[in-house]
Amino acid sequence: MAGVNSEQQRAELLEVTGLRFAVEPHVAADGTMWISAEHERLPELLAFLRHNGFAHCSAISVTDWPEDGEFELTYHLWSYEDKILVTVKSRIDREEATAASVISLWGPSAGIHERELHELFGVSFEGNPDLAPLFLEDWEGPPPFRKDFDWRAYVREAFYEEGNSREQSYWD
Amino acid sequence: MSKATGTEHMAKGHRAVDGYDLYFGPVHPGSGNFGVKLTVEGERVVAARSDPGYLHRGFEKLMEYRTPMQNAVLSDRLCILESLNWNLVHAEAVDRLCGAEIPRRAKCIRVIMAELSRIQSHIIWYGVLSKALGFDTGFKVAFGYRDYVLDLFEFVTGGRVYPAGYLCPGGVRRDFPDGTKKRIEDLLVTMEKMVLEFEAYDSRTMAARCHGVGVLALDDALRLGATGPVLRACGLAADVRRDAPYEIYDELDFDIPIREEGDALARSIIRRREIGASITIIRQVLDRLPAETLPPIKPKVAVKIPEGEVYVRNEIARGEAAVYMRSTGEAQPYRCKIRGPDLLHMIPVLEHLLVGAEVADVPAIYWSLNICPADMDR
Repeated sequence: MAGVNSEQQRAELLEVTGLRFAVEPHVAADGTMWISAEHERLPELLAFLRHNGFAHCSAISVTDWPEDGEFELTYHLWSYEDKILVTVKSRIDREEATAASVISLWGPSAGIHERELHELFGVSFEGNPDLAPLFLEDWEGPPPFRKDFDWRAYVREAFYEEGNSREQSYWD
Repeated sequence: MSKATGTEHMAKGHRAVDGYDLYFGPVHPGSGNFGVKLTVEGERVVAARSDPGYLHRGFEKLMEYRTPMQNAVLSDRLCILESLNWNLVHAEAVDRLCGAEIPRRAKCIRVIMAELSRIQSHIIWYGVLSKALGFDTGFKVAFGYRDYVLDLFEFVTGGRVYPAGYLCPGGVRRDFPDGTKKRIEDLLVTMEKMVLEFEAYDSRTMAARCHGVGVLALDDALRLGATGPVLRACGLAADVRRDAPYEIYDELDFDIPIREEGDALARSIIRRREIGASITIIRQVLDRLPAETLPPIKPKVAVKIPEGEVYVRNEIARGEAAVYMRSTGEAQPYRCKIRGPDLLHMIPVLEHLLVGAEVADVPAIYWSLNICPADMDR
């Protein structure tokens, strides 16, 4: 998704960020930029991008990698001035899933994504004052979007009755 | 300020004048499956807290268990009011992962259907806002006109509201049936007539209830994550169709209406003008529609999505829609994050606008954002 007239800006940004944070950004075939960063350098890198035009935090997401024992955080940022889309990726430990909140950079628009991820993946964002439950009501189970949460088993046990012939297909 | 609800408060013998909680939704006729809890003092809202989750279906998780063609059908349900636009975002994400070449005719059809869907969504918004303002005529006129668009959707896709993944990975499920072009041209004439009718109402009813209500400043809009018409009503001409064109939008010449005021009236004027812009877009695409015939696309078993990740953004009627898709080379995506405009519009933006508003203005503010709980809850 290459923005219009963004070739020059993107080349500059690639060089500057690469040098400054010792990361290797790459540009995908569709023109989007992808940066992988160590978790320790993440706040500094995100602050740098925020102060260089990336005013819009389009989304924050988490991908669960249980075999690696890690969560991958992805920050999707858009610059209204330079028309560039950057995705910053960083991995954190799955057992102690904690990351620094980016509310100070993008305000409530980032806060609401963090609140959602806290509920669905159990990632804690330090510095976010509002991580109250969002979609789920009275939920006491594990964070349901984690890969090791078996929602089919949960639904079967919570809502279907074994031995009921009309619901047998759920138990086969 | 009392913490008790209005009823409890009055049951204790108090008069309900010194502050109580008021629920707007989730069973309010105009609220959708969504509520907002207002703390009210006299006629003024002093605090607002959104209460989402009534439509949470866990789509992101469901998609991890399904193939792209099944997910195309699921993507209809991401927003009931503009299912074709969501079809397109999902289809583009899979296309980019697969590196698929989409036939030019299919790209044209995608744009036409997405723009018709945008018009249709704006019509619903117009109807529901009118209803919220107590202007029933506007509601009936709008929903009457909407059926003309739904007739066309039924003719082309087989479904009036849900197109069953018509815009699917690889192009479109089937080509336009014979006579579609003529039907669309006729439909656009009807839509132009409708816009004129809306304009006539605007100068009186809309202006009286929406002028100066729910004013959003540009820096607040950016901080709160507003996109689409809500952001453009604050004076920033940001539109994904122009800033990062997809399909054939880079060839098309169209207006992006903007206003500076940031109030509910500005948002409604923008949406009305966007219907006009969509009509011009569709006419241009119809002129470019190649005369080839597209083969129908049928679901194939065990097609794997190549390993990789994409973040695809589209401009839908409500704002910025995006899909982050990660594939590990399986038949199902490993992760599919869906970013809808309404998570931002219905929680941070709405809460911000409601504080300090009069109770009577709540429906006008609520519906001027054109919110849809489906893509917020997912």
